[in-house]
Amino acid sequence: MSAPDEDNTSNNTQLASNFFGELLDSVIMDVASECHRVARLGLDRNLDDEEEELRLSAQARARVADPSNSETNSKYVVDIFGQTHPSVAAEIFDCMNCGRSIVAGRFAPHLEKCMGKGRKARVKATRSSTAAAQNR
Amino acid sequence: MSTALNPCNHLSDYKLRYGLKGFNLIQKWVKTSPCKKTLLGKSKSEIPRCSFCCGYEGRIYICLICSSMSCSLSSESNHALLHTQTQIGHEIAVDVQRSELYCFACGDQVYDPDFDRAVMCEQIVGLGNGNLEGVRSSNKRKRLSFEGGLNSDLKNLKRVVGGGDWDHGRRLSKSCFPVGLRGLNNLGNTCFMNSVLQALLHAPPIRNYFLSGRHDRVSCRKTSSNRFCLSCDIDVIFSAVFSGDRAPYSPAQFLYSWWRLSENLACYEQQDAHEFFMSVLDRIHEEEGKTRNTNKDNGDCHCVVHRAFSGLLRSDVTCTTCGFTSTTYDPCVDISLDFNTNVDHISPNKPQKSTELGISTLTSCLDLFTRPEKLGSDQKLYCQNCQERRESVKQMSIKRLPLVLCLHVKRFEHSLVKKASRKIDRHLQFPFSLDMTPYVSSSIVRKRFGNRIFAFEGDESEFSTKFEVFAVITHSGMLESGHYVTYLRLNEQWYKCDDAWITEVDDEVVRASQIYLVFYVQKPNSGQKSGEDAGCHLRSSPSGDSFVSIAGCC
Repeated sequence: MSAPDEDNTSNNTQLASNFFGELLDSVIMDVASECHRVARLGLDRNLDDEEEELRLSAQARARVADPSNSETNSKYVVDIFGQTHPSVAAEIFDCMNCGRSIVAGRFAPHLEKCMGKGRKARVKATRSSTAAAQNR
Repeated sequence: MSTALNPCNHLSDYKLRYGLKGFNLIQKWVKTSPCKKTLLGKSKSEIPRCSFCCGYEGRIYICLICSSMSCSLSSESNHALLHTQTQIGHEIAVDVQRSELYCFACGDQVYDPDFDRAVMCEQIVGLGNGNLEGVRSSNKRKRLSFEGGLNSDLKNLKRVVGGGDWDHGRRLSKSCFPVGLRGLNNLGNTCFMNSVLQALLHAPPIRNYFLSGRHDRVSCRKTSSNRFCLSCDIDVIFSAVFSGDRAPYSPAQFLYSWWRLSENLACYEQQDAHEFFMSVLDRIHEEEGKTRNTNKDNGDCHCVVHRAFSGLLRSDVTCTTCGFTSTTYDPCVDISLDFNTNVDHISPNKPQKSTELGISTLTSCLDLFTRPEKLGSDQKLYCQNCQERRESVKQMSIKRLPLVLCLHVKRFEHSLVKKASRKIDRHLQFPFSLDMTPYVSSSIVRKRFGNRIFAFEGDESEFSTKFEVFAVITHSGMLESGHYVTYLRLNEQWYKCDDAWITEVDDEVVRASQIYLVFYVQKPNSGQKSGEDAGCHLRSSPSGDSFVSIAGCC
């Protein structure tokens, strides 16, 4: 490569560098100006509160993830009223579709069949829902 | 420090001496371009040059007194400052690339409402928005009030009170629990229903409405042709849950009615809580519409559901060619937020590991929701001004906030391509107190115009923008076999409602949970309407009475 070409390349590089520098300065100034306006006019969010919330959140996650903290599976504890409950709800009441006595924890699957809906009930596809309800 | 309300001496002196002449002159040179910043330029063909050195680099300032231009390159080469030193009194200038006032005596950017108004007027006209919605230029209108530190005293007080000592105070009242706290039996994969019911049972406007007997079951049965009415069933649940009986309740009738009314969703499978929530609101709205004959458009509907949850979303579509903005309004009962995967907050006080992801926050999701979105070139929309399809930018904002704000975090991704769904398990930080100011239409539109001091329509709102959380529905586990739990906040104490089990939990447990639906209620500004106040009050009496009499009707 001859010397003049090298000079040209380095000039071009220099120019490109200058342009980039100008653009970068301008963009930085834009952001600074906007932030300055927001801060002076009192339009910014309360950063202190946000930082505090983030800190509390991080703290909370750390404490909860700590295996030494007993992660009580609430299904087997006493609730605040001092009651215990079985994992499948044991209350018994009458189905309002067919009248049968149903255990609360099994009500939904029963109702699905009772009303003729759902996958298992679709075997009886030709029957209407009222016919299924009358089925005892 | 110069603020809009307290201009620096030099700026006030300038205005006293020269009035608005300088600003009005500048107005002629304001050049606007859609979606870009506002510049000043004397002529269309020439670029601004410094009168000292004829340079065009660095920042260029126009003196507001003699309109001479000078540049500021560095601390060594500051012709703008030189100008103010040679011409005594020429302290105020305008940065031409940003259309911002600068005081060389203070060495700081300064702000003036009259200057901003001058610039705004040109912006409005220049962008072809002669009758831009949401923007008014009335001199008589009350000035924009800057409430930066308004509630800081209150906040500081809360911080002190919310510390360790307060815990002892709370513990003392353990013996009497709030009314309306009662477990709900799981009837077979119905935790999606139980979790939503718990939230509805404690949404202040809903709770107040039903507990004051506003839905008359007797007359409803007579007038309604349909045997099934979710409002009646919910009314029954309210009576049961607030009766003082603490044994878990089985919402069987409600499930049955809901299945009869929502054929397509009726099956014994885990449902999506949000879908269920929408469906319930719909049914109640329909029922109210029949009985009251007020089946108006959702936006104006006065049924209990809409009075509680209904807000108004504003959608602005701006043509990138001419700047013309077309605005539409749509009512909504909740806001569904996409996860903002652009991490903005790095965990404080923690050393950065290469695998460490930042923290996702609810506010960043709201930022994403209201961010200007450039629509693809394949989605060109028709511009009234250009009379052609043009590329545009769309931006959402909240025109009217609801009394109860339900935020839905879209954790379940359904890919049509892969024909598979997956759950985003990522933790989402959320605040207990949420200020929606940055997301309302007036703030978003103002920001679009560079946050100029200008009277915007809807600035003075009768409703507060500050919200307080009262219920959080969380989802844990896999997509198909997960579990929903609701955390309720009553009297500053969090309760975990896990089907039949009600337990007390610390703030931390709630903060660390995986939120799916978050419910906020409006907090009152002093002397303004509040979400909590919408109707009657219910407080747990010291003796732990099961049912407190309700004063008045809402």
